[in-house]
Amino acid sequence: MNDAIKIRILQGDQIIHDVRNASLPELFRGLPTIEDKACSDDCNKCAEVCPTNAIKLNPVRIDLGLCVFCPLCEETCPEKIIHFTNNYHTAVDRTEKLIVTKETKSISPEKSSEKIRKYFGKSLKLRQISAGGCNGCELELNALSNVSFDMGRYGIEFVASPRHADGIVITGPITQNMSKAIDICYDAVPNPKIIILFGACAISGGIFQNTGEIQRKFLEENKIDLYIPGCPPHPLTFINGLLDWLDKV
Amino acid sequence: MKLLEVQNNQLFNIDAIHFLGKDEFRNTVAVLMQNGNRMIALTPIDKSDPQKIIAVLSDSSSSMIGVVGGDFSKGKLEFESWANDFPQTHYFECELSENYGYVPVNHPWLRPVRKQNVILGNKPYQFFKLEGEEIHEVAVGPIHAGVIEPGHFRFQCHGELVYNLEINLGYQHRGVEKLFLQSSPNQQIILSESIAGDTTIGHTFAHCNAIECLSHTQLSLRAEVVRTIASEIERIAMHLSGLGGIANDIGFALPASSYGRLRTLAINSLASICGSRSGRGLFIYGGVRFDLNDEIINTVVNNLKIVQNDVRQVNEYLFSSVGALSRLEETGIVKKDLAQNVGLVGLAARSSGLEEDARIHFPYSAYRYNPISMITLSTGDVFARARLRALEIDEALRFIFDQIENLPQGEIKSDIGNVTANSGAISIIEGWRGEIAHIVFTDEKRNLLNYKIKDPSFNNWYGLSLALRETAISDFPLCNKSFDLSYAGHDL
Repeated sequence: MNDAIKIRILQGDQIIHDVRNASLPELFRGLPTIEDKACSDDCNKCAEVCPTNAIKLNPVRIDLGLCVFCPLCEETCPEKIIHFTNNYHTAVDRTEKLIVTKETKSISPEKSSEKIRKYFGKSLKLRQISAGGCNGCELELNALSNVSFDMGRYGIEFVASPRHADGIVITGPITQNMSKAIDICYDAVPNPKIIILFGACAISGGIFQNTGEIQRKFLEENKIDLYIPGCPPHPLTFINGLLDWLDKV
Repeated sequence: MKLLEVQNNQLFNIDAIHFLGKDEFRNTVAVLMQNGNRMIALTPIDKSDPQKIIAVLSDSSSSMIGVVGGDFSKGKLEFESWANDFPQTHYFECELSENYGYVPVNHPWLRPVRKQNVILGNKPYQFFKLEGEEIHEVAVGPIHAGVIEPGHFRFQCHGELVYNLEINLGYQHRGVEKLFLQSSPNQQIILSESIAGDTTIGHTFAHCNAIECLSHTQLSLRAEVVRTIASEIERIAMHLSGLGGIANDIGFALPASSYGRLRTLAINSLASICGSRSGRGLFIYGGVRFDLNDEIINTVVNNLKIVQNDVRQVNEYLFSSVGALSRLEETGIVKKDLAQNVGLVGLAARSSGLEEDARIHFPYSAYRYNPISMITLSTGDVFARARLRALEIDEALRFIFDQIENLPQGEIKSDIGNVTANSGAISIIEGWRGEIAHIVFTDEKRNLLNYKIKDPSFNNWYGLSLALRETAISDFPLCNKSFDLSYAGHDL
């Protein structure tokens, strides 16, 4: 008993009290900014080095759905116009918002519909499906339940059965071998239900977009409610995205 | 004996491999295994020409790696299976058969490795069946009750007791090896970071070593030390995660949450070094992207000092609890002989008393000059696998503090040239789970001919099956967590 109390005292108060404004290390690569400066003629170096073809040119645009947040473009740009900030508020509700341009200062999802907020605003149970996820995203989703992030305090939790869930969180590029399981699992979730894509692989295929082993039909057939970019996304990106979306500020 | 012997990360010319006729090939490999060598890979050197294959075998006692070539261009793609005498080759033969159509004759249990709905011989693969009046079968997965990767498990039980567990994987198959051949170097690094996201540093380390070896790149001492520090931080973080999982699976909430808290400190240390909690972006060809300045060193040392102090007390609390010990001890036992026969590696092997540690037997990078101690336990049960994690965390912390104190000065990046044509390299490193091997071959035009990856999970999944025998099915989650294997690393 004494030992237990000792360990408990050692643990102290670990919770991140203000998840909206917690600061991350300088080097953390979150929302990129693109300076409003002209590129030198015909320079396509950023697009060329990008491992996932996330960058389009004239003018420079970064697709956060594809971006794996390696700093290659930032390092390569001769004019130094691309810069990764440590802003982790990058969750959005529509793919158009994933495109970062010179005008982009911040991105966030629109408030969900009144119906969704009425149903899920106080309690949201999610079933996670890993469909080719490398365990990077899965570890970060698991971290959401630890003593630092404690997502349960907002009534948001992961559950074991799709029958108990209000929606699914998909990680990984959706392999052919998981495409059937994902259909069955989604069918088992009662209506109304939401779909959240977590990580670059789930949103776009990421580094695996050109392998023949993925089957992304499920995403074309269903409406996606929330996109969480990153490789893997930071747990705070997920929490803040949901808080914005459910209007629980 | 006609074989090519190389060291870890030693460049060799493809023409130096002796390609033997299929009978001689089979016998040479059998003799090597008889002498205590362990199989690392069975693969063609050219993915598009599967008629010439190599068997890669490692000899821990001499730190040499043997490469034996087999030429099957005359006659059928058939050889007499080794698996009846050397069970460790069982899964490698299945993989070769599935990928390239080889037939290992008299193989005891030819089964799919990654593909679903495969036809073996003429009929679809049937799961292993046990018959009897009171026998029942439990099938779980691919989707499990938790935030984990997918895999299918079939238990043949008598009441609570498991007689056989068959593990069917492949749901995570993304075609990583194939993708390596069509990717640019920038893509290859990102790809190796995503082979198994919990071993980002381990796989990227192995990949970079292989490419640097092929391109004759000499790293600065400082870069090598930063790499090994990062690699040990990853080991600490994942061992803490494993201990937390084990505590959680026996319903011991306080240690579970404490280990989770300490893991956060470890991964946040990685984030302060390179911006990513899993260590992404740190490795580049020829060194590391980020240097350790005084501020970063302070953060890392402060974090890890807390881990060092607190983890000892949490360990003491967990391992002195009678309730916890009664769940951990004598659960999921894999004895030393069995572990050796089926070729377990890494953490699981050392828990069973096998001396297998690439950092010592096939030293690479800074481990060549700054040794780390190998720790082994003998009982091979869940307790040993948990306890070994605790001990390895201690040793890794000692190693890191030692390295930081004696951090060599110098550059962190070296220039990297082209890869050598018509060559091969075998890169072995010790990830937190165990031995990771990346085997690369290039053609005359310096393009990759084959890129073979072996995650330690490939060896160890079968160990989990064996651990479950004669164990209560309710202990499966605990046994599973004590091995903590990668699905993505296995499925590639």
